[in-house]
Amino acid sequence: MGRYLSIPILGLAAALSAGVMPHMIGFAVAVLSDLTPILEHTRGQLNLGLLLVMTWAIRASLTESLIWAFAGGIFMDLLSILPLGTSSFALVLIAFAVSAVSHQLYRVRLISLLLMTILSTIFFQFFTYQMLTLLGHSYHLPSLVRLVMLPTLVYHLVMVLPVAGLVRLMQNRLEGGLQRAPSVLPGTGESL
Amino acid sequence: MRPAGRPNRFLFLIVALGLCSGLMLLGMAGLLAPVEGLASAPLHGFSGALNRLSLTLNQAFEELNSLGQLRERIASLEELLASRQIEIIQLREAASDYDRLVDLLSYTNTLENQEFLTADVIALDQSGIVRGLIINRGARDGVGIGMPVVTDLGLVGRIVGLSANAAQVQLINDENSSVSARLQTTRAEGSIIGQASGALRMTFIDLDESIIQGDLVITSGLGGNFPPDIVVGQVTSIRQFEFELFQEAEVRSLIDLGLLEFVLVITSFQPIDLSVFDDSAGG
Repeated sequence: MGRYLSIPILGLAAALSAGVMPHMIGFAVAVLSDLTPILEHTRGQLNLGLLLVMTWAIRASLTESLIWAFAGGIFMDLLSILPLGTSSFALVLIAFAVSAVSHQLYRVRLISLLLMTILSTIFFQFFTYQMLTLLGHSYHLPSLVRLVMLPTLVYHLVMVLPVAGLVRLMQNRLEGGLQRAPSVLPGTGESL
Repeated sequence: MRPAGRPNRFLFLIVALGLCSGLMLLGMAGLLAPVEGLASAPLHGFSGALNRLSLTLNQAFEELNSLGQLRERIASLEELLASRQIEIIQLREAASDYDRLVDLLSYTNTLENQEFLTADVIALDQSGIVRGLIINRGARDGVGIGMPVVTDLGLVGRIVGLSANAAQVQLINDENSSVSARLQTTRAEGSIIGQASGALRMTFIDLDESIIQGDLVITSGLGGNFPPDIVVGQVTSIRQFEFELFQEAEVRSLIDLGLLEFVLVITSFQPIDLSVFDDSAGG
């Protein structure tokens, strides 16, 4: 149960992704585009919710991963133009796939983590694009790939390691906390 | 074989996906709007605070980064100001003539009668695909779908989504945005369409019309989606090919749409649905 108490972090991640990250990335792009003109006009975004859900699913149980994915998607959709549940749908599928794959592996190494990030990001971006198309919006896909999807992928590949480290730290703390929980009811001497 | 009592992984997945699909259907039908408004209120407040903080920091960094450029810019702006002051005096003369003529014609400028509602920008769309933002005013404050959103420098976009205390704004540089516009000097008509790069392009300008670089682009009011005479931007370059039916102009908005802090919603303007005429014409 203690692990689910950390779900508000996903709300914080959604607020950061909508309120802070666009400005930080915009500033970085403005500074770097003087050096590398290829970055000019790009508008990739760092989706912290997606990275948190994906990295959490690596070590968590399937039920926990799916609940994280569902909650993370809801927080994201509350700050987006998409209907409620859209991001949850994509994140649930990603969490399921990541959970299934990582439980088959002896240890999730860097290369596997990066591969998962690439596939998850591409899937999530195309899913969002398809949903927007279904809702009647139309976007020029090649431009989207070049200006949005590829920069987003790069940001995710850069940020996945710190996020995975943070998630691992949190999961270790929670596991430690759960292990250190008293096995005897205080004051009664009765065993739990 | 799966041991008895162990839950099926796929069952969990199907339940979760079913739940998401249900939410999506209810959300698209608009049945979740009250719940969504209630649930998003704290998130919007928090995101708004983060947005303001981040904008302040961003501006401070940018100012530090471009201190030298700013000094040069101030010098050139001072020169510009001096020349503009002379123009203002001439324009005041023209304005007084105009006022007299307007009184004579009993003409009412539509913009003068508009009602504005100030709103804070609390979030930007995080998908990257859509160019949009969320403001802290919603249906409770009298905001409605289709209402234009502006700043003192010109047009920002229009309201496309609504909850009780927040609204989603589609920016004019979104690829799905189209604004009927005209050039201020030559009165040439066209449509301002957002580009994937975030730039604005004025399309469908008749080949016979002349376009002046630096000319202001204003809304024309055609189509009934926006009130007329709101500044959209300035022409930066012209694209004209003999083999094309229309000419195009690249337009730069006077507003930095990625760094908006406050906007104004024109609450007195109701977009006109012209599709009823299409239906009656068709059948």
